[in-house]
Amino acid sequence: MYIGPWHIPPQDIFKAFLSPLFPSLKQGLPDAERYISTVYDIRLPRLLLALMAGAALSVSGASLQALFKNPLVNEYILGLSSGAAFGAAISIVFLGQHFPPQISAFAFSVVAVLAVWTVAKKSDSQIISLLLTGVIVSAFFSALLSLAEFFASPYALQSLFSWLMGDLSQAGWRPLALSLPLMGLGTVGLILMRWRMNVLSMSDEEAKSLGVNIRNEKLLVIFLATLITSAATAVAGIIGWIGLIVPHLVRMMVGVDNRRVVPLSAALGAGFLILADDLARSLASFEIPVGIFTSLIGIPFFIFLLKKSKKVWL
Amino acid sequence: MSIRIQDLRYGYRNFSLHVQSLAFESAKMTSIVGPNGAGKTTLLKCLSAILPVSKGSVFVDGRDVASMPEEERAKILAYVPQEHSSAFNYTVEDYVLMGRAAYITLFSTPSSSDVRIVQEALEYVGLSRYASRPYFQLSSGERRLVLIARALAQKSDILVLDEPTSFLDPKHETEILDLAKKLAVEKKKTILVTLHNLDLAVKYSDVMVFMKKGILVACGQPDDILTETLLENVYEIKMHIIRYNGRKFIVK
Repeated sequence: MYIGPWHIPPQDIFKAFLSPLFPSLKQGLPDAERYISTVYDIRLPRLLLALMAGAALSVSGASLQALFKNPLVNEYILGLSSGAAFGAAISIVFLGQHFPPQISAFAFSVVAVLAVWTVAKKSDSQIISLLLTGVIVSAFFSALLSLAEFFASPYALQSLFSWLMGDLSQAGWRPLALSLPLMGLGTVGLILMRWRMNVLSMSDEEAKSLGVNIRNEKLLVIFLATLITSAATAVAGIIGWIGLIVPHLVRMMVGVDNRRVVPLSAALGAGFLILADDLARSLASFEIPVGIFTSLIGIPFFIFLLKKSKKVWL
Repeated sequence: MSIRIQDLRYGYRNFSLHVQSLAFESAKMTSIVGPNGAGKTTLLKCLSAILPVSKGSVFVDGRDVASMPEEERAKILAYVPQEHSSAFNYTVEDYVLMGRAAYITLFSTPSSSDVRIVQEALEYVGLSRYASRPYFQLSSGERRLVLIARALAQKSDILVLDEPTSFLDPKHETEILDLAKKLAVEKKKTILVTLHNLDLAVKYSDVMVFMKKGILVACGQPDDILTETLLENVYEIKMHIIRYNGRKFIVK
């Protein structure tokens, strides 16, 4: 909460933060109302968003990797990010400033995942067809996105780009009111299912013979992961690679048991995004979109991972 | 627990399995033999409801397997696959713990009593010292034992093993089948295995089932049903049966 374009001394931040509880602290502050509003209306929601979005994206990444039995899967594999991007584009380009892009981003990410699910469920080998359909649906929505960009005005284009690159600066209490509870609920649900993910990461035949209703349980995991990813994406834009890097870091440290991987991914993901956001806000005199930071760290890591994929920690 | 099959049918493209009637008794070891593509594995998967079977074709103690919920079925019947592959290298203990899935609800994690059951299962198959080793560091013989330990953790009365001895050396073959026999005798479990090694099948089985092209050819105690005519009929090559120490041996 200390870091930001407007310098507030740390002790004043602390006072401003506690002032609703202890009104006497206000007297010590030079510009009490502005300090308090900066802390409560700008920095606290942003911190909460980074915390929850980091946790949500990492947990959904870890869960989907277990579910798809593939450690290279990320939270956007089901076409979710391209759906969300197109939704945001529609709202920013055609509906103007008055309609919040979050709602239409959320709606279209759900549409994309539903599309993937309906196309894929008819096939025998669900996993492969889900991944394949995810790629196809992504490509389709990317084309639609390009079309929207083509029609966009330069101003709309700029605000669309900042959203596409991941941007936590939109955090305010109004958009958070809906997405924080959704992220919290889904993340807690997936963390509770952490041991079940071990069983779900077995082959379908094995999981079935162990007494698991694989269809329903997989649907539940996909539903929760979609819910939290789209809730995070809707407010924070597309923040790539967290769901891939964080679970892998955790597996390197503690092994593959999802009883540890899932909850620790939540903790590490939250910390990682807060750190990335702090860097994004403070490294330059202007704000760099946080999605750029996560990708700058994420992609070299991904290459390192591919080079080293001798199943050392898997 | 006993299994009864009644007019079981399962088919895909150019193969169809049809077993008119067959029963497996408890505390007995039954081996299913026959050439490749005879439908042995398909039969086991149908019994274990891994492949969808129509209602009214497989009964365990009179209860229809097809209409049982998954977790209930897993408590009475455990299926041991030929091999296991995974993108994640779980430890032996974590792996065997998955056998408890039917007893653990969706949103909870294994309790200390689950862990104790897993330790007992590992001890029974003689792998206690490997509990914290990664699964893929074990040899094929040890991996089979882990798969069996996981099935034991399911605490089911019926154990279905799909070719538990394939790719194993004679020592591990014997070890696995000794273990299966011990489970039938000591723990009164109903054991079903598919085997390719006929001599081992004769040695270990209480009952042998011969299959060919999806159909049951013969069924009974090895000593009673094993003849040269039957072998030639099933495998389409000439084999001889010789007696040594009162046991039948097959010479190709």
